[in-house]
Amino acid sequence: MASADKPINTDVPEKDVFALHFLQSLSNLRRQNTFNSPEKTNDRVKKIKKAAYVSMARAAGGTSRLWSRALLRRAAKETNKVVRFSRRKKRVTWLRRRSNRRDPVEEEEKEAERLRNLVPGGGAMETSKLIEETAYYIKCLSMQVKVMQCLVDGLSPK
Amino acid sequence: MLDSLLTPSTSSHMQTSATTFDHKDFLNHIFASAPWPSVDETHAPQPPPSDVFVDSRNQQIMMMPLSSHHQNDNVDGSSAHALYSGFSATGSRPFHIPQGSGGGPMHQQGQTQRQPQQQASASTDTGGTAVSPSQSRTKVRARRGQATDPHSIAERLRRERIAERMKALQELVPNGNKTDKASMLDEIIDYVKFLQLQVKVLSMSRLGGAAYVSSQSSEAGGSHGSASSAVAGGNQPTGNSNDGLTMTEHQVAKLMEEDMGSAMQYLQGKGLCLMPISLATAISTATSHTRNSLIPGAGDVGGRPSSSNLSGKTVQTMNTLKLNSNGNCMAEGSSSIAVKEAVSISKP
Repeated sequence: MASADKPINTDVPEKDVFALHFLQSLSNLRRQNTFNSPEKTNDRVKKIKKAAYVSMARAAGGTSRLWSRALLRRAAKETNKVVRFSRRKKRVTWLRRRSNRRDPVEEEEKEAERLRNLVPGGGAMETSKLIEETAYYIKCLSMQVKVMQCLVDGLSPK
Repeated sequence: MLDSLLTPSTSSHMQTSATTFDHKDFLNHIFASAPWPSVDETHAPQPPPSDVFVDSRNQQIMMMPLSSHHQNDNVDGSSAHALYSGFSATGSRPFHIPQGSGGGPMHQQGQTQRQPQQQASASTDTGGTAVSPSQSRTKVRARRGQATDPHSIAERLRRERIAERMKALQELVPNGNKTDKASMLDEIIDYVKFLQLQVKVLSMSRLGGAAYVSSQSSEAGGSHGSASSAVAGGNQPTGNSNDGLTMTEHQVAKLMEEDMGSAMQYLQGKGLCLMPISLATAISTATSHTRNSLIPGAGDVGGRPSSSNLSGKTVQTMNTLKLNSNGNCMAEGSSSIAVKEAVSISKP
Protein backbone atom coordinates (compact mmCIF):
# COMPACT_ATOMS: atom_id res chain seq x y z
CA MET A 1 0.00 0.00 0.00
CA ALA A 2 1.18 3.46 -0.68
CA SER A 3 0.26 4.86 2.66
CA ALA A 4 3.82 4.56 3.91
CA ASP A 5 2.82 3.15 7.30
CA LYS A 6 5.37 1.21 9.11
CA PRO A 7 4.44 -2.48 9.19
CA ILE A 8 1.88 -3.16 11.84
CA ASN A 9 3.51 -4.85 14.77
CA THR A 10 1.24 -7.08 16.79
CA ASP A 11 3.65 -9.34 18.56
CA VAL A 12 2.90 -10.13 22.13
CA PRO A 13 5.42 -11.43 24.60
CA GLU A 14 5.65 -15.13 25.24
CA LYS A 15 3.41 -17.04 27.59
CA ASP A 16 5.93 -17.11 30.40
CA VAL A 17 5.93 -13.34 30.68
CA PHE A 18 2.20 -13.37 31.22
CA ALA A 19 2.48 -16.29 33.60
CA LEU A 20 5.14 -14.59 35.62
CA HIS A 21 3.17 -11.41 36.06
CA PHE A 22 0.00 -13.25 36.89
CA LEU A 23 1.65 -15.43 39.50
CA GLN A 24 3.28 -12.44 41.04
CA SER A 25 -0.04 -10.69 41.36
CA LEU A 26 -1.62 -13.82 42.81
CA SER A 27 1.04 -14.18 45.42
CA ASN A 28 0.55 -10.54 46.26
CA LEU A 29 -3.12 -11.21 46.73
CA ARG A 30 -2.40 -14.20 48.91
CA ARG A 31 -0.22 -12.18 51.19
CA GLN A 32 -3.19 -10.00 51.82
CA ASN A 33 -6.20 -11.37 53.60
CA THR A 34 -7.31 -13.75 50.92
CA PHE A 35 -8.90 -16.52 52.92
CA ASN A 36 -12.15 -14.77 53.47
CA SER A 37 -15.40 -16.43 54.25
CA PRO A 38 -17.48 -17.62 51.33
CA GLU A 39 -19.95 -14.80 51.70
CA LYS A 40 -17.45 -12.43 50.25
CA THR A 41 -16.67 -14.55 47.27
CA ASN A 42 -17.77 -11.85 44.94
CA ASP A 43 -15.10 -9.57 46.23
CA ARG A 44 -12.53 -12.25 45.82
CA VAL A 45 -13.66 -12.91 42.30
CA LYS A 46 -13.40 -9.25 41.52
CA LYS A 47 -9.97 -9.04 43.05
CA ILE A 48 -8.68 -11.96 41.11
CA LYS A 49 -10.20 -10.67 37.92
CA LYS A 50 -8.66 -7.29 38.44
CA ALA A 51 -5.33 -8.88 39.23
CA ALA A 52 -5.59 -10.84 36.03
CA TYR A 53 -6.24 -7.76 33.94
CA VAL A 54 -3.58 -5.68 35.57
CA SER A 55 -0.99 -8.39 35.24
CA MET A 56 -1.97 -8.79 31.62
CA ALA A 57 -1.58 -5.07 31.02
CA ARG A 58 1.84 -5.09 32.63
CA ALA A 59 2.98 -8.15 30.78
CA ALA A 60 1.82 -6.83 27.46
CA GLY A 61 4.26 -3.97 27.47
CA GLY A 62 3.48 -1.72 30.37
CA THR A 63 2.66 1.74 29.17
CA SER A 64 3.60 1.39 25.57
CA ARG A 65 0.10 0.52 24.49
CA LEU A 66 -2.87 2.73 24.90
CA TRP A 67 -5.26 0.14 26.24
CA SER A 68 -2.82 -1.11 28.80
CA ARG A 69 -2.42 2.40 30.07
CA ALA A 70 -6.17 2.81 30.28
CA LEU A 71 -6.49 -0.47 32.15
CA LEU A 72 -3.84 0.42 34.66
CA ARG A 73 -5.31 3.82 35.12
CA ARG A 74 -8.74 2.37 35.71
CA ALA A 75 -7.37 -0.10 38.24
CA ALA A 76 -5.36 2.51 40.03
CA LYS A 77 -8.32 4.79 40.29
CA GLU A 78 -10.13 2.26 42.41
CA THR A 79 -7.21 1.80 44.72
CA ASN A 80 -6.53 5.53 44.86
CA LYS A 81 -3.02 4.96 43.77
CA VAL A 82 -1.24 7.70 41.93
CA VAL A 83 -0.17 6.59 38.51
CA ARG A 84 2.35 8.55 36.57
CA PHE A 85 1.54 9.01 32.93
CA SER A 86 2.56 11.60 30.44
CA ARG A 87 0.36 14.62 30.26
CA ARG A 88 -0.03 14.24 26.54
CA LYS A 89 -2.56 11.49 26.93
CA LYS A 90 -5.20 13.74 28.41
CA ARG A 91 -4.99 16.25 25.65
CA VAL A 92 -5.14 13.57 22.98
CA THR A 93 -8.14 12.06 24.68
CA TRP A 94 -9.97 15.35 24.67
CA LEU A 95 -9.22 16.07 21.05
CA ARG A 96 -10.12 12.58 19.94
CA ARG A 97 -13.38 12.63 21.80
CA ARG A 98 -14.30 15.86 20.10
CA SER A 99 -13.52 14.61 16.64
CA ASN A 100 -15.16 11.27 17.30
CA ARG A 101 -18.40 12.89 18.28
CA ARG A 102 -18.75 14.18 14.76
CA ASP A 103 -18.47 10.83 13.14
CA PRO A 104 -21.33 8.56 14.20
CA VAL A 105 -23.28 9.43 11.09
CA GLU A 106 -21.22 6.99 9.13
CA GLU A 107 -22.40 3.46 9.48
CA GLU A 108 -19.04 1.98 10.19
CA GLU A 109 -18.52 4.34 13.06
CA LYS A 110 -21.56 2.98 14.83
CA GLU A 111 -19.94 -0.40 14.97
CA ALA A 112 -16.69 1.15 15.97
CA GLU A 113 -18.56 2.62 18.91
CA ARG A 114 -19.35 -0.83 20.20
CA LEU A 115 -15.75 -1.86 19.88
CA ARG A 116 -14.71 1.26 21.68
CA ASN A 117 -16.87 0.35 24.62
CA LEU A 118 -15.25 -3.05 24.87
CA VAL A 119 -11.62 -2.24 24.46
CA PRO A 120 -10.27 -0.21 27.36
CA GLY A 121 -9.17 3.23 26.35
CA GLY A 122 -11.07 2.95 23.12
CA GLY A 123 -12.68 6.32 23.31
CA ALA A 124 -9.39 8.05 22.81
CA MET A 125 -8.43 6.46 19.56
CA GLU A 126 -9.16 6.94 15.95
CA THR A 127 -10.75 4.06 14.15
CA SER A 128 -7.68 2.72 12.43
CA LYS A 129 -5.67 2.84 15.61
CA LEU A 130 -8.58 1.27 17.44
CA ILE A 131 -8.53 -1.72 15.17
CA GLU A 132 -4.83 -2.15 15.63
CA GLU A 133 -5.19 -1.98 19.38
CA THR A 134 -8.03 -4.45 19.23
CA ALA A 135 -5.84 -6.96 17.47
CA TYR A 136 -3.18 -6.61 20.10
CA TYR A 137 -5.75 -6.78 22.87
CA ILE A 138 -7.23 -9.97 21.47
CA LYS A 139 -3.80 -11.57 21.32
CA CYS A 140 -3.04 -10.60 24.88
CA LEU A 141 -6.39 -11.77 26.13
CA SER A 142 -6.03 -15.17 24.52
CA MET A 143 -2.54 -15.47 25.97
CA GLN A 144 -3.85 -14.63 29.41
CA VAL A 145 -6.65 -17.14 29.07
CA LYS A 146 -4.18 -19.83 28.08
CA VAL A 147 -2.02 -19.05 31.07
CA MET A 148 -4.91 -19.17 33.48
CA GLN A 149 -6.20 -22.36 31.98
CA CYS A 150 -2.79 -23.97 32.32
CA LEU A 151 -2.64 -22.92 35.94
CA VAL A 152 -6.04 -24.34 36.68
CA ASP A 153 -5.22 -27.57 34.97
CA GLY A 154 -1.86 -27.87 36.62
CA LEU A 155 -3.10 -27.16 40.08
CA SER A 156 -6.29 -29.14 40.09
CA PRO A 157 -5.87 -32.64 41.43
CA LYS A 158 -5.88 -35.55 39.10
CA MET B 1 19.36 35.40 -13.38
CA LEU B 2 16.24 33.61 -14.15
CA ASP B 3 18.22 30.60 -15.15
CA SER B 4 20.27 30.56 -12.02
CA LEU B 5 17.22 30.95 -9.91
CA LEU B 6 15.23 28.37 -11.63
CA THR B 7 17.61 25.75 -12.75
CA PRO B 8 19.30 24.47 -9.61
CA SER B 9 16.30 24.43 -7.36
CA THR B 10 13.77 23.32 -9.81
CA SER B 11 15.79 21.00 -11.89
CA SER B 12 15.02 18.18 -9.58
CA HIS B 13 11.39 19.09 -9.29
CA MET B 14 10.43 20.67 -12.48
CA GLN B 15 12.27 18.38 -14.74
CA THR B 16 10.58 15.36 -13.36
CA SER B 17 7.32 17.13 -13.09
CA ALA B 18 7.60 18.65 -16.47
CA THR B 19 8.08 15.27 -17.99
CA THR B 20 4.74 14.24 -16.67
CA PHE B 21 3.08 17.32 -18.02
CA ASP B 22 1.65 17.26 -21.41
CA HIS B 23 4.50 18.44 -23.53
CA LYS B 24 2.43 19.28 -26.51
CA ASP B 25 0.32 21.76 -24.65
CA PHE B 26 3.30 23.59 -23.36
CA LEU B 27 5.15 23.68 -26.61
CA ASN B 28 2.09 24.90 -28.44
CA HIS B 29 1.52 27.48 -25.85
CA ILE B 30 5.05 28.64 -25.90
CA PHE B 31 5.33 28.95 -29.58
CA ALA B 32 2.04 30.75 -29.68
CA SER B 33 3.42 33.41 -27.46
CA ALA B 34 5.92 35.76 -28.91
CA PRO B 35 7.70 36.99 -25.85
CA TRP B 36 10.88 35.06 -26.25
CA PRO B 37 13.21 37.87 -27.12
CA SER B 38 11.77 40.31 -24.62
CA VAL B 39 12.04 37.85 -21.81
CA ASP B 40 15.60 37.17 -22.63
CA GLU B 41 16.43 40.81 -22.69
CA THR B 42 14.78 41.66 -19.44
CA HIS B 43 15.84 38.70 -17.36
CA ALA B 44 19.16 37.53 -18.60
CA PRO B 45 21.88 39.75 -17.17
CA GLN B 46 23.93 39.48 -20.32
CA PRO B 47 22.51 38.14 -23.55
CA PRO B 48 23.90 34.67 -23.97
CA PRO B 49 25.85 33.81 -27.09
CA SER B 50 23.93 32.39 -29.96
CA ASP B 51 25.01 28.81 -29.60
CA VAL B 52 24.35 28.74 -25.91
CA PHE B 53 21.24 30.70 -26.50
CA VAL B 54 19.53 27.65 -27.78
CA ASP B 55 20.53 25.65 -24.76
CA SER B 56 19.40 28.21 -22.30
CA ARG B 57 16.30 28.56 -24.33
CA ASN B 58 15.73 24.86 -24.13
CA GLN B 59 16.09 25.09 -20.47
CA GLN B 60 13.87 28.03 -20.44
CA ILE B 61 11.37 26.15 -22.47
CA MET B 62 10.89 24.00 -19.48
CA MET B 63 10.79 26.89 -17.13
CA MET B 64 8.99 29.39 -19.25
CA PRO B 65 5.49 28.03 -19.13
CA LEU B 66 5.68 27.87 -15.43
CA SER B 67 7.03 31.34 -15.01
CA SER B 68 4.79 32.80 -17.64
CA HIS B 69 1.88 31.49 -15.69
CA HIS B 70 3.02 33.64 -12.90
CA GLN B 71 3.91 36.61 -14.94
CA ASN B 72 0.45 37.12 -16.25
CA ASP B 73 -2.54 38.59 -14.60
CA ASN B 74 -3.22 38.01 -11.02
CA VAL B 75 -5.97 35.57 -11.77
CA ASP B 76 -3.68 33.22 -13.50
CA GLY B 77 -0.99 33.98 -11.06
CA SER B 78 -3.14 32.95 -8.18
CA SER B 79 -4.21 29.77 -9.87
CA ALA B 80 -0.63 28.99 -10.65
CA HIS B 81 0.21 29.81 -7.08
CA ALA B 82 -2.32 27.31 -5.98
CA LEU B 83 -0.85 24.92 -8.44
CA TYR B 84 2.63 25.25 -7.10
CA SER B 85 1.80 25.55 -3.48
CA GLY B 86 1.94 21.83 -3.35
CA PHE B 87 5.57 21.82 -4.29
CA SER B 88 8.29 22.35 -1.83
CA ALA B 89 9.16 25.84 -0.75
CA THR B 90 12.39 25.90 -2.64
CA GLY B 91 10.54 25.15 -5.77
CA SER B 92 7.92 27.76 -5.36
CA ARG B 93 9.96 30.56 -4.01
CA PRO B 94 11.87 31.42 -7.16
CA PHE B 95 8.63 31.89 -8.97
CA HIS B 96 7.68 34.82 -6.91
CA ILE B 97 10.66 36.77 -8.03
CA PRO B 98 10.14 36.62 -11.76
CA GLN B 99 6.53 37.50 -11.26
CA GLY B 100 7.41 40.85 -9.84
CA SER B 101 10.03 41.64 -12.37
CA GLY B 102 8.46 40.11 -15.38
CA GLY B 103 5.01 41.35 -14.75
CA GLY B 104 5.48 44.44 -16.77
CA PRO B 105 6.56 43.27 -20.16
CA MET B 106 4.35 40.22 -20.00
CA HIS B 107 1.31 42.23 -19.37
CA GLN B 108 0.48 43.10 -22.90
CA GLN B 109 0.61 39.49 -23.90
CA GLY B 110 -1.49 38.54 -20.94
CA GLN B 111 -4.76 39.49 -22.52
CA THR B 112 -4.17 37.59 -25.70
CA GLN B 113 -2.84 34.58 -23.98
CA ARG B 114 -5.35 34.38 -21.27
CA GLN B 115 -7.63 31.94 -22.94
CA PRO B 116 -5.10 29.32 -23.93
CA GLN B 117 -3.34 29.78 -20.66
CA GLN B 118 -6.40 29.14 -18.69
CA GLN B 119 -6.96 25.98 -20.57
CA ALA B 120 -3.37 25.06 -20.11
CA SER B 121 -3.52 25.87 -16.47
CA ALA B 122 -6.64 23.81 -16.14
CA SER B 123 -4.93 20.89 -17.72
CA THR B 124 -1.85 21.41 -15.67
CA ASP B 125 -3.94 21.75 -12.59
CA THR B 126 -5.07 18.19 -12.63
CA GLY B 127 -1.69 17.15 -13.74
CA GLY B 128 -0.10 19.16 -10.98
CA THR B 129 -2.26 17.89 -8.23
CA ALA B 130 -1.77 14.47 -9.56
CA VAL B 131 1.92 14.91 -9.32
CA SER B 132 2.23 16.83 -6.11
CA PRO B 133 0.83 14.17 -3.83
CA SER B 134 3.15 11.63 -5.29
CA GLN B 135 6.09 13.85 -4.65
CA SER B 136 5.44 15.49 -1.35
CA ARG B 137 3.73 12.52 0.28
CA THR B 138 3.95 9.08 -1.20
CA LYS B 139 0.28 8.54 -1.81
CA VAL B 140 -1.83 6.86 -4.35
CA ARG B 141 -1.88 8.89 -7.49
CA ALA B 142 -5.23 10.53 -8.11
CA ARG B 143 -6.96 9.30 -11.17
CA ARG B 144 -8.51 11.61 -13.69
CA GLY B 145 -12.19 12.00 -13.23
CA GLN B 146 -12.03 11.43 -9.47
CA ALA B 147 -12.06 14.18 -6.96
CA THR B 148 -8.56 15.27 -6.23
CA ASP B 149 -9.07 17.53 -3.30
CA PRO B 150 -7.09 16.51 -0.26
CA HIS B 151 -10.16 15.70 1.78
CA SER B 152 -11.23 12.77 -0.33
CA ILE B 153 -7.67 11.61 -0.66
CA ALA B 154 -7.31 11.56 3.09
CA GLU B 155 -10.65 9.89 3.38
CA ARG B 156 -9.68 7.19 0.95
CA LEU B 157 -6.38 6.68 2.69
CA ARG B 158 -8.10 6.31 6.00
CA ARG B 159 -10.46 3.74 4.59
CA GLU B 160 -7.60 1.78 3.12
CA ARG B 161 -5.77 1.81 6.38
CA ILE B 162 -8.82 0.57 8.20
CA ALA B 163 -9.37 -2.19 5.67
CA GLU B 164 -5.78 -3.28 6.00
CA ARG B 165 -6.02 -3.61 9.72
CA MET B 166 -9.33 -5.38 9.54
CA LYS B 167 -7.66 -7.95 7.37
CA ALA B 168 -5.02 -8.47 10.01
CA LEU B 169 -7.74 -8.89 12.58
CA GLN B 170 -9.57 -11.39 10.48
CA GLU B 171 -6.81 -13.92 10.85
CA LEU B 172 -6.90 -13.64 14.61
CA VAL B 173 -10.55 -14.16 15.13
CA PRO B 174 -11.80 -17.65 14.54
CA ASN B 175 -14.53 -17.81 11.96
CA GLY B 176 -12.92 -14.96 10.16
CA ASN B 177 -13.88 -16.01 6.73
CA LYS B 178 -16.76 -13.59 6.47
CA THR B 179 -16.27 -11.10 3.74
CA ASP B 180 -18.92 -8.69 4.92
CA LYS B 181 -17.42 -5.96 7.02
CA ALA B 182 -20.41 -5.63 9.30
CA SER B 183 -20.57 -9.29 10.16
CA MET B 184 -16.81 -9.35 10.59
CA LEU B 185 -17.06 -6.57 13.13
CA ASP B 186 -19.82 -8.46 14.90
CA GLU B 187 -17.60 -11.51 15.09
CA ILE B 188 -14.76 -9.47 16.48
CA ILE B 189 -16.95 -7.90 19.12
CA ASP B 190 -18.37 -11.26 20.13
CA TYR B 191 -14.92 -12.75 20.33
CA VAL B 192 -13.65 -9.98 22.57
CA LYS B 193 -16.66 -10.42 24.82
CA PHE B 194 -16.09 -14.13 24.89
CA LEU B 195 -12.46 -13.74 25.87
CA GLN B 196 -13.33 -11.33 28.62
CA LEU B 197 -15.96 -13.75 29.87
CA GLN B 198 -13.41 -16.53 29.82
CA VAL B 199 -11.05 -14.51 31.98
CA LYS B 200 -13.85 -13.80 34.39
CA VAL B 201 -14.92 -17.41 34.61
CA LEU B 202 -11.40 -18.68 34.98
CA SER B 203 -10.77 -16.31 37.82
CA MET B 204 -13.97 -17.52 39.38
CA SER B 205 -13.09 -21.14 38.98
CA ARG B 206 -9.81 -20.76 40.75
CA LEU B 207 -11.64 -18.97 43.45
CA GLY B 208 -14.46 -21.49 43.52
CA GLY B 209 -12.15 -24.35 44.37
CA ALA B 210 -10.55 -22.37 47.11
CA ALA B 211 -13.85 -21.34 48.60
CA TYR B 212 -15.11 -24.88 48.50
CA VAL B 213 -12.03 -26.14 50.21
CA SER B 214 -12.13 -23.52 52.88
CA SER B 215 -15.82 -24.07 53.51
CA GLN B 216 -15.32 -27.82 53.76
CA SER B 217 -12.50 -27.48 56.17
CA SER B 218 -14.46 -25.03 58.26
CA GLU B 219 -17.31 -27.48 58.41
CA ALA B 220 -14.93 -30.18 59.44
CA GLY B 221 -14.21 -28.12 62.48
CA GLY B 222 -11.32 -25.77 62.50
CA SER B 223 -9.27 -24.92 59.49
CA HIS B 224 -5.73 -23.81 59.71
CA GLY B 225 -5.79 -22.26 56.34
CA SER B 226 -2.97 -24.39 55.07
CA ALA B 227 -3.04 -26.62 52.08
CA SER B 228 -2.65 -29.91 53.90
CA SER B 229 -5.52 -29.38 56.24
CA ALA B 230 -7.62 -28.16 53.38
CA VAL B 231 -6.94 -31.33 51.52
CA ALA B 232 -7.67 -33.36 54.59
CA GLY B 233 -10.89 -31.50 54.96
CA GLY B 234 -11.68 -32.28 51.41
CA ASN B 235 -11.13 -35.95 51.92
CA GLN B 236 -13.79 -36.29 54.52
CA PRO B 237 -16.00 -39.32 54.32
CA THR B 238 -19.19 -38.93 52.52
CA GLY B 239 -21.36 -38.49 55.53
CA ASN B 240 -20.12 -35.03 56.12
CA SER B 241 -20.48 -34.13 52.53
CA ASN B 242 -24.04 -35.31 52.43
CA ASP B 243 -24.97 -33.27 55.43
CA GLY B 244 -23.25 -30.30 53.97
CA LEU B 245 -25.08 -30.77 50.75
CA THR B 246 -28.45 -31.07 52.39
CA MET B 247 -27.81 -27.84 54.17
CA THR B 248 -26.72 -26.30 50.94
CA GLU B 249 -29.82 -27.50 49.21
CA HIS B 250 -32.06 -25.90 51.74
CA GLN B 251 -30.12 -22.74 51.54
CA VAL B 252 -30.30 -22.69 47.79
CA ALA B 253 -34.00 -23.42 47.81
CA LYS B 254 -34.51 -20.49 50.11
CA LEU B 255 -32.45 -18.25 47.93
CA MET B 256 -34.13 -19.33 44.77
CA GLU B 257 -37.45 -18.14 45.99
CA GLU B 258 -36.19 -14.62 46.24
CA ASP B 259 -33.71 -14.26 43.46
CA MET B 260 -32.18 -16.69 41.05
CA GLY B 261 -29.03 -14.63 40.71
CA SER B 262 -28.12 -14.76 44.35
CA ALA B 263 -28.78 -18.47 44.42
CA MET B 264 -26.39 -18.94 41.53
CA GLN B 265 -23.80 -16.83 43.23
CA TYR B 266 -24.11 -18.76 46.42
CA LEU B 267 -23.67 -21.98 44.55
CA GLN B 268 -20.73 -20.67 42.63
CA GLY B 269 -19.11 -19.60 45.82
CA LYS B 270 -19.32 -23.17 46.96
CA GLY B 271 -17.98 -24.44 43.69
CA LEU B 272 -21.27 -25.86 42.57
CA CYS B 273 -23.44 -25.10 39.63
CA LEU B 274 -26.97 -25.58 38.53
CA MET B 275 -27.71 -27.76 35.56
CA PRO B 276 -30.58 -29.60 33.98
CA ILE B 277 -31.08 -33.18 35.07
CA SER B 278 -30.49 -34.56 31.63
CA LEU B 279 -27.03 -33.06 31.59
CA ALA B 280 -26.37 -34.37 35.04
CA THR B 281 -27.28 -37.88 33.97
CA ALA B 282 -25.00 -37.56 31.00
CA ILE B 283 -22.14 -36.49 33.20
CA SER B 284 -22.77 -39.21 35.73
CA THR B 285 -22.69 -41.89 33.11
CA ALA B 286 -19.51 -40.41 31.79
CA THR B 287 -17.89 -40.39 35.17
CA SER B 288 -19.35 -43.59 36.55
CA HIS B 289 -16.26 -45.61 35.80
CA THR B 290 -13.89 -43.17 37.39
CA ARG B 291 -15.67 -42.01 40.44
CA ASN B 292 -14.62 -44.74 42.76
CA SER B 293 -10.95 -44.03 42.79
CA LEU B 294 -9.80 -41.03 44.66
CA ILE B 295 -6.23 -39.95 44.81
CA PRO B 296 -5.64 -37.54 47.66
CA GLY B 297 -4.77 -34.32 46.02
CA ALA B 298 -1.73 -32.71 47.42
CA GLY B 299 -2.35 -29.68 45.37
CA ASP B 300 -2.57 -26.10 46.33
CA VAL B 301 -5.65 -24.23 47.35
CA GLY B 302 -6.37 -23.41 43.79
CA GLY B 303 -7.46 -26.95 43.05
CA ARG B 304 -10.65 -28.78 43.52
CA PRO B 305 -9.45 -31.55 45.77
CA SER B 306 -12.49 -33.60 46.35
CA SER B 307 -14.63 -32.74 43.46
CA SER B 308 -13.92 -36.00 41.72
CA ASN B 309 -14.78 -38.01 44.77
CA LEU B 310 -18.05 -36.38 45.33
CA SER B 311 -19.08 -35.81 41.80
CA GLY B 312 -20.39 -39.26 41.07
CA LYS B 313 -22.13 -39.67 44.37
CA THR B 314 -23.67 -36.30 44.45
CA VAL B 315 -24.75 -36.54 40.88
CA GLN B 316 -26.57 -39.72 41.69
CA THR B 317 -28.23 -38.29 44.70
CA MET B 318 -29.03 -35.20 42.81
CA ASN B 319 -30.63 -37.08 40.05
CA THR B 320 -33.49 -37.98 42.25
CA LEU B 321 -33.83 -34.52 43.57
CA LYS B 322 -36.03 -31.94 42.08
CA LEU B 323 -35.52 -28.55 43.51
CA ASN B 324 -38.03 -26.82 41.40
CA SER B 325 -40.34 -27.55 38.58
CA ASN B 326 -37.78 -26.68 35.99
CA GLY B 327 -36.09 -29.93 36.48
CA ASN B 328 -32.83 -28.37 37.45
CA CYS B 329 -30.55 -29.97 39.94
CA MET B 330 -27.35 -29.20 41.66
CA ALA B 331 -24.19 -30.80 40.60
CA GLU B 332 -20.52 -30.49 41.12
CA GLY B 333 -18.53 -28.36 38.86
CA SER B 334 -16.88 -25.06 39.21
CA SER B 335 -17.62 -23.50 35.92
CA SER B 336 -19.70 -24.05 32.90
CA ILE B 337 -17.10 -23.56 30.27
CA ALA B 338 -18.02 -26.63 28.37
CA VAL B 339 -15.97 -29.69 27.87
CA LYS B 340 -12.89 -28.85 29.82
CA GLU B 341 -14.59 -28.82 33.17
CA ALA B 342 -16.52 -31.97 32.50
CA VAL B 343 -13.30 -33.70 31.73
CA SER B 344 -11.69 -32.39 34.86
CA ILE B 345 -14.55 -33.68 36.92
CA SER B 346 -14.06 -37.12 35.57
CA LYS B 347 -10.36 -37.24 36.28
CA PRO B 348 -9.43 -40.24 38.43
